[in-house]
Amino acid sequence: MAAETISASFDIYRYRPGKDASPRYQRYTLDLTPHTPVLTALLKIRAEVDPTLSLRYSCRSAICGSCAMQINSKSRLACETHIGPEIERHGRIVVEPMRNQPVLRDLVVDQAPFWREYDKIEPHLKLDPRHPMPEGKATAMTPAQVDRFKETPRCIACAACYSACPAVEADAEFPGPMALAKLYRFVVDPRDRATQDRLVRIQPNGLWLCLRCHLCTEACPKDVRPSERIRDLKEMAIAAQGGTETGSRHAIGFKENLKGAGQLNEMQLVRATSGLTGMLGQVGQGIRVWRKKPEILKRPRKIEGLDELEKIYAALDPPPKEEP
Amino acid sequence: MKLAYYPGCVAQESGKELDMATRWVCRNLGIELVEFPNFSCCGSGFVDEANEVLNIAINVRNLAIAERAGLDMLTICSTCQGMLTLAKVRMTDPKVKARVEAALKPLGIEYRGTVQVKHLLRVLTEDIGIAAVKAKVRRPLHGMKVGAFYGCHLLRPADEMQSESAEEPHAFEDLLSAVGATPVDYRGRVMCCGFPIQFVKPSTASAIAGRQILDAKAHGADAMATPCPLCHLSLDAYQNKAAKEVHAVLDMPIFHLPQVVGLALGASPEELGLSRHLVPTDPALEKVRPAARA
Repeated sequence: MAAETISASFDIYRYRPGKDASPRYQRYTLDLTPHTPVLTALLKIRAEVDPTLSLRYSCRSAICGSCAMQINSKSRLACETHIGPEIERHGRIVVEPMRNQPVLRDLVVDQAPFWREYDKIEPHLKLDPRHPMPEGKATAMTPAQVDRFKETPRCIACAACYSACPAVEADAEFPGPMALAKLYRFVVDPRDRATQDRLVRIQPNGLWLCLRCHLCTEACPKDVRPSERIRDLKEMAIAAQGGTETGSRHAIGFKENLKGAGQLNEMQLVRATSGLTGMLGQVGQGIRVWRKKPEILKRPRKIEGLDELEKIYAALDPPPKEEP
Repeated sequence: MKLAYYPGCVAQESGKELDMATRWVCRNLGIELVEFPNFSCCGSGFVDEANEVLNIAINVRNLAIAERAGLDMLTICSTCQGMLTLAKVRMTDPKVKARVEAALKPLGIEYRGTVQVKHLLRVLTEDIGIAAVKAKVRRPLHGMKVGAFYGCHLLRPADEMQSESAEEPHAFEDLLSAVGATPVDYRGRVMCCGFPIQFVKPSTASAIAGRQILDAKAHGADAMATPCPLCHLSLDAYQNKAAKEVHAVLDMPIFHLPQVVGLALGASPEELGLSRHLVPTDPALEKVRPAARA
């Protein structure tokens, strides 16, 4: 028996830069089964209704990473997003190109910014010439060493994470989730001899602009979990270099601050992160806030059992070396 | 019901009005708050960046305090909720568990993992229930259009936070409807407030906050409401900077979640600490249709 069909309305972003005055949304309504992938619907529209619709796709099996786009505002692969749940939740399906990359036509974007960030992290092994790989064993690694890659080798470079990232949207300095997840992959590769150099170089170049909003981790169709690997990079960067950046100083400052009373001392933290001169720059804002919220100048009370916290710090900071 | 109250740092300091509103709402909905002066700060995501295992241990200590008392925890901050839940999830990894227990066992701290960590939003919508909240409404907020602003850590990563949805939640909107307000649908409601990089790069942080406020405004919001005091700082205390970054007049009142509920349940603006906000909330309160006022 054939599955029942539903009437599905698509509002598709249409735009030809240089030709159209502004983007518009065009509605197409089709009868489809709920498990139809959005990509299948788009191809049907193009084949049967409107041959001018432009989109990018290839494998239709969530392997090539070509068909990432925004589906009801979520960055997703069109080939593995079914229409049923979208219609159920939104009553229609709004299809738009990925964000954070200029539109070339309709749903096709120029991925140059995404690939530029990828190239910048130098995504290739840098072998130490003094330690050549033994003949025939170029990829020899222990299972434990392979485990350190976590999910990063699964990345198909679809750019869904780049599209979903609010830091990329707001700041051109941020390399984006994919480039940083890829960087992590090389930093933990036991064959790569540039680990320290990679960590040193990425720090002033946007590592600390990650908001840890985890939108990348939700957008990723391969569960690469970029936000969690960016966290790992931050901890590794601190271990390698200490507080060389505002971001790392703030993380270290917060950790030390918490040890003091068990509660946050807001003023002390500002001073640890920004220094006295940095604090001066924030005096105006500080007074504005203080007039409504005078507690910002109060020292927090010490929690009971602060000695327990001190002992936890003594045992785990810095973290003891893991068993190999 | 009885819960271990975990107010978090901000609600005890600059976000005192959140603590006031929470206590008022809980008192009026029959939620007993048990206080523990030995709870520590959750690390706010920053300690996690500096030392992951330390961050887990600090929060397991907090979890164990509530667990020992046989109580589930109530959080009123998306970030506290996120950090405490993350510690619970990470402790299911045997390697992590061994390292944390090695530090906690000598202190006599035992953790079984039975304690639940619940944000006020979940307690109100699931434990108390939307219908029960609605039944207590004395002054429905008819006429006030509110954009819910969730805060990242309440939602994501969804598999770890056990949230209703990473990008398409509706519990907050359901609650807003229950108290008579009109929820506003906008993309920014599940986006970031910018707070985590307020110190790293204030201009970018404020630009991000500004975008979300503009988005809510463009969709007709008279006010926004958040379950997270860090989002509140970003959206309210730093709204002047956000406005500068997005080159727009924002003037968007920002409520804490329990303030919106409290208003509908009959609390006065004084009881909810509304005068402590940087952006005045009066314009939003004036939207409440006079006929519906008590």
